[in-house]
Amino acid sequence: MITFDGVTKRYPDGTVAVDSLNLDIPDGKIMVLVGPSGCGKTTTLRMINRLVEPSAGRVLLDGRDVADANPSRLRRGIGYVIQQTGLFPHRTVEDNIATVPMLTGRKKADARARARELMELVGLDPPTMARRYPHQLSGGQQQRVGVARALAADPPVLLMDEPFSAVDPIVRAALQDELIGLQARLHKTVVLVTHDVEEAIKVGDLVAVFRPGGRLAQVDSPERLLGAPADDYVRDFVGFDRGIRRLSFFRAVSLDLATDSVLPAATTLADAITVGKRAGEPWLLVVGGDRKPLGWAAVADLESGPPDATLAGADLAPVGHTFRPEADSLRAALDATLLSRTERAVGVDDGGQVLGTTSYERLRDAIRAAEEAADRAADPVGGGR
Amino acid sequence: MSFLTFAWDWLKSPQQWQGPDGIPSRVLQHLAYSGLSLLIATLIAVPLGLLIGHYGRGGFAVVNVTNIWRAIPTLGLLILVVVLLGLGVLAWLIPLVALAIPPILVNTYEGVAGVDPELKDAARGMGMTSWQVLWKVEVPVAVPLIMLGLRTGAIFVVATATIAAEIGVGGLGRYIIDGLASNNYGEVAGGAAVIVVLALLIQLVFTGLRRLVVPTGLRLQARSSR
Amino acid sequence: MLRIRLAGDADMQWSWIPQNWSIIWPYTLDNLLLGLVPPLIGLVIALPVGIACVARRWLYPPVLSLSSAIYALPSLALFVVLIAYTGLGNLTVIIPLTLFSLCVLIPNVVDGLRSVSEPVRQAATAMGFTQVRRLVQVELPLAVPVVIAGLRVAVVSSISLASLGQLIGVSSLGYFFIDGLQRDFPTEIYVGLALTILLAVLCDVILVVSRALLTPWARGRRIGPSPRLAWPVAGR
Repeated sequence: MITFDGVTKRYPDGTVAVDSLNLDIPDGKIMVLVGPSGCGKTTTLRMINRLVEPSAGRVLLDGRDVADANPSRLRRGIGYVIQQTGLFPHRTVEDNIATVPMLTGRKKADARARARELMELVGLDPPTMARRYPHQLSGGQQQRVGVARALAADPPVLLMDEPFSAVDPIVRAALQDELIGLQARLHKTVVLVTHDVEEAIKVGDLVAVFRPGGRLAQVDSPERLLGAPADDYVRDFVGFDRGIRRLSFFRAVSLDLATDSVLPAATTLADAITVGKRAGEPWLLVVGGDRKPLGWAAVADLESGPPDATLAGADLAPVGHTFRPEADSLRAALDATLLSRTERAVGVDDGGQVLGTTSYERLRDAIRAAEEAADRAADPVGGGR
Repeated sequence: MSFLTFAWDWLKSPQQWQGPDGIPSRVLQHLAYSGLSLLIATLIAVPLGLLIGHYGRGGFAVVNVTNIWRAIPTLGLLILVVVLLGLGVLAWLIPLVALAIPPILVNTYEGVAGVDPELKDAARGMGMTSWQVLWKVEVPVAVPLIMLGLRTGAIFVVATATIAAEIGVGGLGRYIIDGLASNNYGEVAGGAAVIVVLALLIQLVFTGLRRLVVPTGLRLQARSSR
Repeated sequence: MLRIRLAGDADMQWSWIPQNWSIIWPYTLDNLLLGLVPPLIGLVIALPVGIACVARRWLYPPVLSLSSAIYALPSLALFVVLIAYTGLGNLTVIIPLTLFSLCVLIPNVVDGLRSVSEPVRQAATAMGFTQVRRLVQVELPLAVPVVIAGLRVAVVSSISLASLGQLIGVSSLGYFFIDGLQRDFPTEIYVGLALTILLAVLCDVILVVSRALLTPWARGRRIGPSPRLAWPVAGR
């Protein structure tokens, strides 16, 4: 547990970077500090490992004031990852990762073995990468080395300052996913600073929104941050599309999928037209014998064909996007639906077999129900705000 | 007795300050040799450096030639030329000019070649011709380095002109060479003192000149990035 | 005035070299010594001074001004100033050349240390390096390429400047220039020139190779001497 107890940081020129901050960061969670530039989030982070000393108040790590610790020893027990990686250009990847273990007196061979373990953990291939120098790596790889280096001494606390901001969006998304995966295994206490709300909501168990002047605006779960922003500042900061982004937290399993418009390829055109008209559906999903989707048949087009032919010979529009109701969110279902030409997406199970199809109406109903349920659940807690 | 006592004793004698061997005429000689050599070297090296830097060809050769240049012993070159060509204007002019060119050339080249490509792109994007890019963007940005090259060239030429006394040329080096030959340390010390003062003055002049010609924006930028 | 030498008169006489090997060798060694000792002393002084200039920023501008003033002085003038104190010995040449080496090395040490990027410095601190440890294990190793670039300039310049010592009687390859002039004998001058340049190039190559060996991480990157004094000492 990291505790900020009335912490203020005022610089000699009078600027207040952090203003009487009270914040608890629970063990084993990812706490994201987010806010616009100059809101004091990085200063807050750097007060944990004493790269910055508070002007007033205390920072406690497991109940002990960090100001009482020897700074070097304190820092060796806290992992630190920064945007520009800060990798040592003169050391190989494995020696970079082995830095802290060697500082704390472990044998070189030992420390290197540990470094190679960590390389695998963060998805770097030790035989090809261990002896390279940082400048021979891509941005994403460098950032992975940075994370491995921070984890090398197995510190319970990991501080990350804009760790993924310098890489392109695709790599960033991959690194974020890896961080979530790593955390599921390692259960570190992670404090991550970012200016990107999207990232905060994606990786955070808890999100602390800072406002300019170093004051805390709201600390909450990402879901509640989107659902119940504390004030206009937070509402604006999380963005006008927060309603849509909130859908990421609702599981698509609540979605009522249409099954009557799903037909086997052996169905005759005449039967298909009847089904389509009865269901009021302009599109029918055609599935194979294994119940995997083959494509969409347009009811209007079927009427021009011989009635006793089967759907197997009909012209089909591509399946478009699929999603897995068991695992994906309503957001994924909505995206899949919006992006498909037929304005319908296909829900499939883990084996790829069709469970049913979506439509705008079905999505709308599911979203409304999920929001109501979430607000009901949130109310007793959020009532005081 | 210390150097300063020797130098002072020699300098305070009025006879050092008059006649063709007096300090004023030696200083003028020294400045004339140095000035002429530096002028010719500048006229050759600056345009060449600008062109090489602007067109980006031959830079590798410039850098390597100048590296070898550093290894050439000036005394050896001066003596070689005088032994091959005999004593005359060319005997000191050729080595002085040849040896002053490299620092000016490489600084001019580096100054122009080092201009931020984005800056040149922006200039071209605004419709400047190749020549306009050179004159309006590259040269002003390169001026600090060019001035540094000129200063190095000047320091170098003043020092080499001193050594040139060994091959029988006039200038302030005469006092040292003649004094050494006749075991007159007073003359040696006095000559050295005058040369030291002259060298420091020239250094000052170039510092002032640099302030005069370097564009204000660049100077402010350099100060704030310090 | 122009004297055109008869062809043949200016030619190299190769037989002179083996006949005079016994004097060529000692002068070459003396010149090498005068070329190497000053940069090495300079390095020993420049490292602590450079470190101090980085740690105390206000120190650097005056140090830089002083060294650029020294650097403007002709070496011959400095030699003869020192004669009053150190006589006509090696020290009279070594001291000015050491000063000139300092003029190149101090800015290079400072620039080398400053070339360590802020994130790297910060990361080292955040991982628990003490200041001394950070200096020794991170900042100094990273400064090596820039320092060696300065050392190359200092060594090559010192080797070529050492020949001037002969003007005050300090033994060096300059002997062959002065003797060649007095005897009007070009071969001797060719040999002196060639040996000086050869020594300089040889030492330069050794430094380039040692840089590659010492700094495997910097291979393939161009690192030059400090631009501030890219053209110091040589050729006074």
